[in-house]
Amino acid sequence: MSDLIDLRHITKTFPPNVTALDDVSVSFQAGEIHAVVGENGAGKSTLMKVLYGLQRADRGEIVLRGQPVRFNAANDAIAAGIGMVHQEILLIPEYTVWQNVVLGAEPRARWGALDTRQARQRVRSKIDAFGLNLDPDALVGDISIAARQKVEILKLLYRNVAVLILDEPTAVLTPLEVPQLFEELRRLRDSGKTILFVSHHLEEVLELSDRVTVLRRGRKVDTVPAASTSKSDLARMMVGRELLFTTRRAARPPGEVVLRINNLSLRDGRQINRLRDVNLEVRAEEIVGIAGVEGNGQFELVNAIIGLIQPDAGAICVNGHDLTRAPILERRRHIAFVAQDRGRMGASVNASIAENAIMTHHRLNEAFSRRRWRLDMRQAAAFAERVRDQFAVAMSRADQPFRALSGGNQQKVILGRELLLDRPFLLLDQPTRGLDVGSTEYVREQMLSQRDARRAILLISSDLEELFSVADRIAVMHRGEIVADTPIERASLEQVGYWMLQGRDGSAGLTGGSTGSPTGGSTGSPTGGSTGSPPRSADAAGAVA
Amino acid sequence: MAQKLFSALAGIGIALGMGAVILVIEGRQPFEVYGALAALSLGDADKLAITLKNAVPLILTGLSASLAFASGPVNLGQPGQFLMGALAATLVGISVDLPAPLMVPLLIAAALAGGAMWAGVAALLRHAFNMSEFIVTLMLNSVAELFTAWLITIDGPLAEAGALSPRSPAIASGGRLGDIGEFNISIVVMALAALAIWYVFHRTRAGYEWRIAGQNTLFARLGGCPVDRNFFIVMLLSGALAGLAGGLLVMSGTYRLIRGIGANYAWDGVMIAVVANSALAATVLYGMFFAALQTGALGMELLTAVPSEFIQVLQAVIVLVSVASRGYLSALLDRLALRRLHRHSAIARQ
Repeated sequence: MSDLIDLRHITKTFPPNVTALDDVSVSFQAGEIHAVVGENGAGKSTLMKVLYGLQRADRGEIVLRGQPVRFNAANDAIAAGIGMVHQEILLIPEYTVWQNVVLGAEPRARWGALDTRQARQRVRSKIDAFGLNLDPDALVGDISIAARQKVEILKLLYRNVAVLILDEPTAVLTPLEVPQLFEELRRLRDSGKTILFVSHHLEEVLELSDRVTVLRRGRKVDTVPAASTSKSDLARMMVGRELLFTTRRAARPPGEVVLRINNLSLRDGRQINRLRDVNLEVRAEEIVGIAGVEGNGQFELVNAIIGLIQPDAGAICVNGHDLTRAPILERRRHIAFVAQDRGRMGASVNASIAENAIMTHHRLNEAFSRRRWRLDMRQAAAFAERVRDQFAVAMSRADQPFRALSGGNQQKVILGRELLLDRPFLLLDQPTRGLDVGSTEYVREQMLSQRDARRAILLISSDLEELFSVADRIAVMHRGEIVADTPIERASLEQVGYWMLQGRDGSAGLTGGSTGSPTGGSTGSPTGGSTGSPPRSADAAGAVA
Repeated sequence: MAQKLFSALAGIGIALGMGAVILVIEGRQPFEVYGALAALSLGDADKLAITLKNAVPLILTGLSASLAFASGPVNLGQPGQFLMGALAATLVGISVDLPAPLMVPLLIAAALAGGAMWAGVAALLRHAFNMSEFIVTLMLNSVAELFTAWLITIDGPLAEAGALSPRSPAIASGGRLGDIGEFNISIVVMALAALAIWYVFHRTRAGYEWRIAGQNTLFARLGGCPVDRNFFIVMLLSGALAGLAGGLLVMSGTYRLIRGIGANYAWDGVMIAVVANSALAATVLYGMFFAALQTGALGMELLTAVPSEFIQVLQAVIVLVSVASRGYLSALLDRLALRRLHRHSAIARQ
């Protein structure tokens, strides 16, 4: 194998003084799957964008097949045989697969008209050549996210690229879709394509790639063959220190019921059931995890609890306060809330850090409400500094824009804001999504210490390992129903996976043994209240890791 | 902050430069023309007073638009709210006759209420039927224009008896704003209104909620802000500012409702808000700048024979340049700062 691409001494600084890449040199060989890993902000996406021509390096050069090249735009890169699939999928849902694929590079018939037949044929032959499981005539709006991602890849194959850059390709996939993607990527490699793969899921990296380059804070740490490294080696290189593993201390039994949801039902505008008779309890000193394939009612459940949508039936109570029809401000007297989408729901990225830190406090925190209608921005800045000190936020000044913070620090500000509200019930929707290893660890530690401070926590997560490592009980949602609700030590990863995909029938797929009990949820934790605490051992987490 | 100010000023500078190119192509002396413009708008206290008085409706309608845009509602109804404010001040002014210390606040209140009421119609329609305020405020402009025109049309319900042009009777003398020295009292009223709205927007809890909702409504809603109620309040306030502009024009200039009052200011408010990127302080500055251009235009025409329409060209260029250069200029400044940083670190290494 020879070096196909040689990145030499790439340096990139973002104004005013963020060094994203500092003298990074990497070479990629033809026909390999090369993973680029690192924490958020380590520079892996920037490196890929420099290679792809979306960003210009301040220093350094790109050498492609021995020739120095300079890409000013993505089209230059594609012309040179380098294509990138972004995290966000940008396709036209009203168009078919083949229409999306040829868009921008259409075969022309006479008078410049689109040569429909040839276009379809070419797409078809690419699908066959690379063994992708896709129907060229399906509407993109009708196919799954995984299939749309394949369409994005197909778009590049159609343009005959030799190098595919994939930015966090598994972030949008369900666990069962990942192996299929990997299989297809391997097939692409075997047909001679080079695949660059950005990720911070170390298991995936080890499973898929041939070589791994680790970046840390804009610098290259090393490039190693995947076969001769391990998850903990990579983690150490990424973080620069040993990761501390959380010990789950044996706690007291969970206390009184804090959140109680009874028979919650919700239909959308098309009369489709989004929530069906959901019953759920979360007790003090308990983390209840909600598992489920995305789009099975978790988001609607969160929105109903926080008050963005009104359920058609059922009740939501926190500490005996009926909040079913309460305005959001009233709910926020009882609920701390971390939303899944930081930029859209959890913060205003253009506002200052201080302005983001005081949200909700500005009305419900006595320190602020004493002044009634006035708002002292110095007091707000002081509050933001308190969040910074208590939650280890790396920021210089509270009047900086929120977007200047890295993803992990943004989440710390949001989490700090919500935890300082000091509410009995925490609603955490994907609180570690998109965070790097260190920040994820931090958020999980906070969850555990909040639990030990006798708070009730409802954790929605698409990361099963996360649920198994922190939750005390796990409830599975499938098509708007809670199809299983079981103490964590009675659930297995496989069993939960089946429930997620098959609903209640999932339990039929496995026999006896360690399976939990699908309860339909009405009684909440079947064992929690009466028989005392199930032992919270580290084994539950250890078993799946 | 300093950087923001710099890009604003640079935008004006670039626009003046482009205007100079146009002037040279036309065979004129740009320095002479700009000199005449400046001299005739800012040259002495007298001229400055006229510029400031002309700035009153520009700044108030500009603040009306900026406040709305920065808080979320898309209020494009300044022309209509302006007219309704002028109408309300006129109605009260011709039916009540009180001494000035009572009359002036009364007419100001009427103008505020008139504009707020007109914006409130749009806010109500949105609340009740989810009709976009963007469309409704635009359409209410025509309603207000035709309604006020009908009221004062010859033999109309509010027409002055025996008048030869469409106009209402004059307001009582107690409601007329005089001058302090050279400067009209309407300037003071405008300044107070601008200060008040700036304070509310930047220093109160309500203003904080408006700002956040203007950037990200969903975040504000989830944080417990009553965004629907705030929307309503902002619409009323925004309408009140435009109404005040109309009322002050009646009280300080025409003393009555006349056909076409405010037509010159119809869209200038939105234009200024756009140029100022909906920032309140910048809105005041740009309002004064545009007033200076418009005030100097006539004299410039007399002195240099450059048609006063040139000012409209210049205004349009300023709008385009400042909007187009906003992102680019700050990127440029960032890059300059970066280069300085590199140089510093290079020096440090030696």
